[in-house]
Amino acid sequence: MKRVYLGEFEEIVLLLVAMLGEESYGVKITHEIITQTNREVRLNQVHSSLHRLEEKGMITSRMGDPTAERGGRRKRIFTITAYGRATLEEMKALRIHLWNLLPPTLNIAGV
Amino acid sequence: MIARNRQQPVVNGPAAPSRTTLSPPGWATRLLRWYCAPHLLEEVQGDLQEEFEFQVRLAGVAKARRDYIRNVIGFIKPFALKRKKSPYTTNIFRMNMFNHYATVAIRQVIRQKTFSAINVIGLALGMTCCLFIYLWVRDEKSVDNFHANKKNLYILYQTVAGNGQVNSSYSTPFNMIFNFSDQKATSTFEEIKRVVPGVLQTSAYMTGYELPWGHPETFQVGEKVQKFNGSRASSDFFTMFSYPVIAGDAATALHDISSIAISRTMAEFFFRTPQEAIGKNVRFENRLDFVVNAVYENPTPQSSWQFEFLLNWDAQITQMNLPSHLIFTTFLLDESADPRQVEENLNRYLTSRSDPKSPEKVTLGLRLFGDQYLYSSFVYGKPAAGRMVYIRIFTGVAVFILIIACINFMNLATARSMKRAKEVGVRKVVGSSRRTLITQFFGESILLSFLALVVSAILMQLLLPSFNILTGKHITSPLTLPEYWIVLPALMLITGLIAGSYPALYLSSLKPVSILKGTLRFTSGATWFRKGLVCFQFSLSIILLIATIVIFSQTHFVRHTSLGYDRDDVIYLQIEGELNTKYSYLKERALKMPGIAMVDRSTEAPHAMGFVVDEKDGFSETNTGDDAIQWEGKGNTSVGFKPASVGFDFIDILKLKVVEGRGFSRAFATDSADAFMINEEAVRQMGIKDPVGKWISAWQKKGHIIGVLKDYHVSSLREPIKPLIVDVKEYEYFGVIMVRLEPGKTTEGLASLESLCREINPNYPFVFQFMDQEYDKLYRSEQVITRITNTFAALGILISCLGLLGLAMFTAEQRTREIGIRKVLGATVGNIVNLLSKEFAVLVVISFLIAAPVAGYFMNRWLQGFAYRIDLSWWIFATAGMMALALAWLVIATQAFQSAVVNPAKSLRSE
Repeated sequence: MKRVYLGEFEEIVLLLVAMLGEESYGVKITHEIITQTNREVRLNQVHSSLHRLEEKGMITSRMGDPTAERGGRRKRIFTITAYGRATLEEMKALRIHLWNLLPPTLNIAGV
Repeated sequence: MIARNRQQPVVNGPAAPSRTTLSPPGWATRLLRWYCAPHLLEEVQGDLQEEFEFQVRLAGVAKARRDYIRNVIGFIKPFALKRKKSPYTTNIFRMNMFNHYATVAIRQVIRQKTFSAINVIGLALGMTCCLFIYLWVRDEKSVDNFHANKKNLYILYQTVAGNGQVNSSYSTPFNMIFNFSDQKATSTFEEIKRVVPGVLQTSAYMTGYELPWGHPETFQVGEKVQKFNGSRASSDFFTMFSYPVIAGDAATALHDISSIAISRTMAEFFFRTPQEAIGKNVRFENRLDFVVNAVYENPTPQSSWQFEFLLNWDAQITQMNLPSHLIFTTFLLDESADPRQVEENLNRYLTSRSDPKSPEKVTLGLRLFGDQYLYSSFVYGKPAAGRMVYIRIFTGVAVFILIIACINFMNLATARSMKRAKEVGVRKVVGSSRRTLITQFFGESILLSFLALVVSAILMQLLLPSFNILTGKHITSPLTLPEYWIVLPALMLITGLIAGSYPALYLSSLKPVSILKGTLRFTSGATWFRKGLVCFQFSLSIILLIATIVIFSQTHFVRHTSLGYDRDDVIYLQIEGELNTKYSYLKERALKMPGIAMVDRSTEAPHAMGFVVDEKDGFSETNTGDDAIQWEGKGNTSVGFKPASVGFDFIDILKLKVVEGRGFSRAFATDSADAFMINEEAVRQMGIKDPVGKWISAWQKKGHIIGVLKDYHVSSLREPIKPLIVDVKEYEYFGVIMVRLEPGKTTEGLASLESLCREINPNYPFVFQFMDQEYDKLYRSEQVITRITNTFAALGILISCLGLLGLAMFTAEQRTREIGIRKVLGATVGNIVNLLSKEFAVLVVISFLIAAPVAGYFMNRWLQGFAYRIDLSWWIFATAGMMALALAWLVIATQAFQSAVVNPAKSLRSE
């Protein structure tokens, strides 16, 4: 099965892009990751991840309107593509499928 | 880092505090602007700014600034650095723009005919030089590198240290070094192969025709008699070296004492075809018979060893006299053997065999056989550059000349840049990027260098025969070499890039505003740069000129200096066959024949006496305890003598001068048994006073010194005059017969001598040498260098002057109006010529000041190679300087004159 590799961090970024809609740009996504996941991330990591996702064709981008707190600069707003959404759903389906295969009681090693 | 566990960020919070205090660090922003790809900059900078202000509110300015810096540095990643490809400007090979550039370039070339011609001719000459030097270097490097075993083929060299001197040479008479009384090659070599692991095969080789005692040797088959230059080699020779054997078997070619291998030429001379030669007998020197066991292809010029026949080594040792002690020993090592290890083992073995009490210490070294030609000299016991020096010098000179030509191009292009500046301005306004302009200008320079390449490739084909004559090489047309087709484009690209670099970078950097407003002026930097380049060019040319004059004068000095004897009209022939036994008869008959003035003999040709006795050179043969020559009051002095045995008329025939005592004379009955003469140098080194009458002995012969000869040069002027000892012996079987011909009667003299020799010595062909020609041959390499430097200096000056012509034309053109106005105001033509040429003359003078000391230093080092040399006197430098100045002035003045005589009405109206 042909499949584009999507890292765990990329998956989170992609989900957030889908979630944030019109507000999905670098700073906002970064802040959202920090609040939602309690992870330590930096702007540049998010940017390079967005860049990769765009190269893979899972998101597209356009320049938004200039805002004052950015010194009059425009934001780049990201939107998830159909391909990106399909990839996310595929991954979710795969996980659910695997979860369903698990026995009801989990045998945890060493216990 | 962004803090965890905090409030929902307030994006539209209270108004940010004033910018001056709360802005991110300026340098970090500048850094970001510098590295970040332009298409990402806005978004990234915006995000960083937003985050900064967010952090200011959350955690304060200090932390916000720290975070900002960390973020800026964190963004230095490939995705942020990578520039987006512009769809419009970068690809010059998009056909429409390419066509446009090609058209513009070609139009430029055509419109500026003179400048283009100067550029193309200059570059073509420079490139031709480079190509020739490349071929020459390639040819030099290929010498001795054609053997299949070349990676494992080593030649031995020996170093003799003792008496405060270190002497090294490739000549290794192995039997002497290892103290084997048995001189057969096999036993010594078998022993070495046994005790030194890693040595697979060994070979000894000795030329039979080189000085001091060698000469072409006579062969006879049936009625045919001819002389050939040949050598001796031991039996492994043909299996170690790749001299192709065309008939017979390589393995057995020299296997026994009666075997000989002959070249194709010799085989075809005696037996028509190589195949017919196998198994046939040839008679050597009318004395020994050899059986032809193999015929090999004539050695190519790529072989430093040239031999028309090879005799078996043991035959040489047991049945003949040594032609020289230039014996070369070569080893074929095992693939896995470490040459240094072998060297060490060899020296250990050598130490075990040598006399521990000997004051001299001999060590052996190994050198790849393919290297011995280029690394022919030794410095402190290690092989040193030798011929490699010339390779380096000439490569350097070729590069210099190419640089001179490239400088022309640069200078003319920058000088003309005013004219093209408008084009650059318009292009920039229309949207051309700097990179496109650079590409365009490089494209133009490469186009010109392509034209130059075509011209130089043609020139090279035409000049190749003359080049071969100039250098004494046999280089064939390189068109069939695959690597030539790589070298050509490479040369074109390199030349194009060097030549185009300055104009491309300079012109593309101009600001369109100032160009189009017309306020563009040459910055003083650009003018200085141009002047600097002219200086550099002329310095190089003047260095070449000085070198030419020095080398020419030295060569002239060497060839025409008084050597202390008269070598004109003297010929000599080898003593061989009946010439020794019938010498008196020959002399008596010859003196009565027309054209012959005098006849005498000597054991060595007087212009190039090679043999030195008692010299501390490590050869047991020549320094057997310093006792070959003894004299009254010798004590512990050690003197290396050049010995010669001559006839009674030796002094007269060479017109030598006697400064003390008397010369040999038949009037004194004792002279043939008792008389010795020495030269002034010998008196000095022997440390005796009033030498005449003292006893002296050479080998077994004891006698008295009857006279002292004025010093004369017995060898080339590279060597200082050595002590000389001469006695009378008219019966030695070797040496030369010298004949002084009557001036102007050379033909008659030679004819008489030939008929006489045919009668007396029918088994040997009549072969003779003119002494003055042979003397000149000692300086063959100097003559080649003279010719080459002459050519190069001429080229260098020519190209520099071409460039100067271009610049002068340009200046004159620029100052047309000025000249017109000056003339209107009453300036004479002379004034104007003076005005225009002064600036350049100053440059040439500065160049001279730079060039003179550099050239002086290098030429002084070159002259050190001669024991007798010219002084580096001021007139050499003056001549070179005056020549350069005169040529440069002539070029500029011609141009200046042309623009000075123009009617001012014309030049002023044109504006």
